[in-house]
Amino acid sequence: MTGATMGGHGGRARHLCALILLVGLSHVGAAAHAADWTDKIKFSGHVQSDIRFMIEDYRGAVPGDGYKFEMNRNDVELKLKIIPNRSVQAVVSGRLRFYGFNEAAQLTELVGRDKIDPHDLQLNEAYLAVRGKIWDLKVGRMVQTWGTADMFNPTSNLSSYDFSDPLDYMAKVPNQMVEFDLYPTDWLTIKAVWVPLFKPSLLPPSTYLGFAVETSRDGCFLNAPTPPLSRNDIDTLETVFNQYDPCSLNFLTPDMAVVIPEFSIANSQAAIKTQFRFALGDVGDLDFSFSYYYGRFSFPIAYTAAADLMDSATLGPGNLDVMYNVELMYPRMHVAGFDFSFSAASDKVPGLFGELAVTFPEEVIFGLAVLRNDVILDNLQMSSVNVPTTPFVKATVGLDYTFTKWLYVNVQYVRGFMDEFNDAYGIHNYVVPALEMKFLDNVLQFRIAAAWNVDDLSAAMFPQMTWVAAPSVELILGVWVYLGDTKPRDSKSYGGRYKFGQKAAGRSVVYLKGKVSW
Amino acid sequence: MKNSVWKTTVPAVALAVLVALPAALSAKDLTATEILRKMQETISGFKDQTMDITMTVKGVDASKKSYDFTIAQKGANKRLIRFTSGEMKGMATLVESRSRVHVYLPGMNKVRRVASHAMNQSFAGSDFTTDDMASLDWPALYDVEPLKDDENHWYLNCTAKKGKKTTYSRVVMKVNKKGFAQDGIEYYAGDGKLAKTMENGQPKKYPAGLTRNSKVLMTDARTGHSTQLDIRDFRVNEDLPDSMFTVRELQWGQ
Repeated sequence: MTGATMGGHGGRARHLCALILLVGLSHVGAAAHAADWTDKIKFSGHVQSDIRFMIEDYRGAVPGDGYKFEMNRNDVELKLKIIPNRSVQAVVSGRLRFYGFNEAAQLTELVGRDKIDPHDLQLNEAYLAVRGKIWDLKVGRMVQTWGTADMFNPTSNLSSYDFSDPLDYMAKVPNQMVEFDLYPTDWLTIKAVWVPLFKPSLLPPSTYLGFAVETSRDGCFLNAPTPPLSRNDIDTLETVFNQYDPCSLNFLTPDMAVVIPEFSIANSQAAIKTQFRFALGDVGDLDFSFSYYYGRFSFPIAYTAAADLMDSATLGPGNLDVMYNVELMYPRMHVAGFDFSFSAASDKVPGLFGELAVTFPEEVIFGLAVLRNDVILDNLQMSSVNVPTTPFVKATVGLDYTFTKWLYVNVQYVRGFMDEFNDAYGIHNYVVPALEMKFLDNVLQFRIAAAWNVDDLSAAMFPQMTWVAAPSVELILGVWVYLGDTKPRDSKSYGGRYKFGQKAAGRSVVYLKGKVSW
Repeated sequence: MKNSVWKTTVPAVALAVLVALPAALSAKDLTATEILRKMQETISGFKDQTMDITMTVKGVDASKKSYDFTIAQKGANKRLIRFTSGEMKGMATLVESRSRVHVYLPGMNKVRRVASHAMNQSFAGSDFTTDDMASLDWPALYDVEPLKDDENHWYLNCTAKKGKKTTYSRVVMKVNKKGFAQDGIEYYAGDGKLAKTMENGQPKKYPAGLTRNSKVLMTDARTGHSTQLDIRDFRVNEDLPDSMFTVRELQWGQ
């Protein structure tokens, strides 16, 4: 499955029109130059090529699926900012993405460019901002990133994550919202945001492997994903499936439905934050904030499942078609947050930062049933609390330090990954170190970063080298490697899988990117 | 995780080298301390200053790379820099004090706090560090004594005051006799060896009517590597509001 199939692609002409509109607007900027409007229009963007190659063949749907191209992508991003006066601005930015993989599998599809050259358009920002003496108001499409930590921000819940590209792990899903900021004093800022409609996080293309039944090359059943149930229930399920010859089970494409919240005001998201800043004399400066969020967790949580064993219509007597139906939902939550950052006056002291979020979740009870030819089997309806109402804590604390002109280190302890919600998987602990080295006047930059799950010892590592070939031109070569067993360490526990080892985490790749900015 | 270029900050030394050529003052019988103070008044005696700068980093292999940025300063400490070209275009740094530095990261659309240790880092791969720039108030940081003089310049030996945090234990300041301009600096490291030299020249009359040196050359004495600042425009006393030097403005102006 390529990214194109996830992103969807409408009419190419429509996409190009939108792009041309952006470029056209930038032309207005050029024309405006003559009218001395250069200060009122800013135009920026970049072009990026991204080629990735899988360096393993065991993390795919079936063994041996690997050692091939994973990505062949080209992006054009354009941003236009219009500033009529000091109190008003409008921002529009968009991205045209070509995926580079031919998807035309039928003769009839060879007559259109959409399948041969799949692409999509994303509007990242489109908002208006107005400000008064002590307030700012923003309305439109944008993203919010709250918190003082790097990337792992448990207090940042307004914008969902965009993990459609695992390497672009900082991306977020833009949404329409209203933001109001108040600046009553130098040391206090109040920020309030309302997001009328919920948007879920975008998941990696490999997500389906987390719900997929594993089969051998000849199609025989090997393993099924472990549901969030008790060990006794899982034993019972195993007994049911062990009755059958593994090669007689024909697993159909599962139906994994997501329960979308209604477009009602009750399903809006809202958050408020009060930020304080204090000078601590010769010691340094401290910033901290308290926040509150009401909304939904943006990653889907397992809600119901049903497995129907049906006499096979295609394989004949003695064989069974197995149909999985799964429902996922986005539970409501309240989040009380606190964050801080401290910078000492002395340059011998590392910078310190941290966040803590206490989540009050909606209870999620997972139910599963096994059916035989559409009839629920006796004693094969089971349920378990997947997410209890007990409040739980997610937190990040970190420090960074510049050792020399060319060496910078940042280390964070993270409790609770972005996609963890204290369901049966639990909240795990991570150490996230990053080391950056710069040489030759920053022309050559090395970065080695990792995320290490200290509970199951799996990890993701991403060493990368950037060559700034010329100002505005970057060539990036890197490796993204997942470390950990693809098989769960405990097949009878929902939390028994390795965070970064499981196939759903993604593929290990080597990548080459070229980027030109303006 | 972030790109560490955010830890760069203001080349305030660029401010420090803007020479007030017209300020012809009588210089006879001045002590070294008085000369240094007058130089300080000359380079920072404005309510606010704004400069558009092209920075060219020259490698020892004759390679060059250039970046454009704008720097606004109010008072001795408040500075706001915005890169307007190159791969760092859009990045902005706000310096309110040594321990209060914020950077706007366009890739993350986020303002991040920067700790004071980052002041040791190179400014965008140049020969300037933040501390080179932060040492604005020379009389407050260094004890001074006369070293020598010639027809056009005084040379002042400046030694770091006890208890003051400075990157360099000693600097030799080259002050123009005609206008108390800061025409050059030699920076000496803790081991007493020459670390860097800075030379300023090419006076230019800017549209606002001020005449200032338009070029600053910083050279690493150990590697021969150098960075040149070309000050394309220079404006002073524009009544820049305090609100311009805030995190709010950093976000608003992104």
